Amino acid sequence: MPASAARRHEVRIEGMKFVPERLEVAAGDRITWTNRDFVPHSVTAKGAGIESGDLGQDKSWTYVAKKPGEFPYICRLHPVMHGVLIVR
Amino acid sequence: MNWKQVLPLIVLAPALALAQGKGPSDPQIAGIVVTANQIDVDAGKIAKSKSKNKEVKDFAQQMITDHTAVNKQAGALAKKLGVTPEDSDTSKSLKQGAAENVGNLKKLKGAQFDKAYVDHEVAYHQAVLDAIDKVLIPSAQNAELKGLITKVRPAIAAHLEHAKHLQASLAKK
Repeated sequence: MPASAARRHEVRIEGMKFVPERLEVAAGDRITWTNRDFVPHSVTAKGAGIESGDLGQDKSWTYVAKKPGEFPYICRLHPVMHGVLIVR
Repeated sequence: MNWKQVLPLIVLAPALALAQGKGPSDPQIAGIVVTANQIDVDAGKIAKSKSKNKEVKDFAQQMITDHTAVNKQAGALAKKLGVTPEDSDTSKSLKQGAAENVGNLKKLKGAQFDKAYVDHEVAYHQAVLDAIDKVLIPSAQNAELKGLITKVRPAIAAHLEHAKHLQASLAKK
């Protein structure tokens, strides 16, 4: 895919949820997670090597989707929070 | 009925009595929010130092981090609104319940400590959630104060869910 076709996607972390919880992107797309809660969160998929580190209030983290696949992720700090990133 | 079952009643009885008559004032609500958060920070610190279980220690650290973050926001909002948090029957009951919990936790060790801490966290977050829904949100007059409590609610619900998972995991050991 040409670099110019790469798209940007936003995921809000709000109310202890990833919004949207399920996101489909193309390989090469950039996804930015922004924490809108008071409490810190992370975007973590251990097996896939996805780890944002701790994101404080209003902090963002951007990840470039590389290989295709389905990547369930959690907030490492609040393991009851789930999301899934699908890379086509 | 043991103390763990009694605690939510202790917490809620004055709050519900208030709800039936005149609800707590905004300064009292601010006092309840600050007290409720501080209590869980303090319990978390005890658990972090006494527990040997990694899951319990991680949960305790999370309670310290999250409830400290909420209190920072609550303090900033109170300052902005010129509200001085006030004591009320509810905040006094919360403190009394917390002192009993701490007294009990200090006597325990190992798996008994972990179970008592986590059981209490489940009951406590359930009681706080009930107070948020039945008293604090309906009674708050200032829109920003109501907004803050509304925004905090999902964190309390997630803590409750996390504590229940932990409770189930400890029961299997």
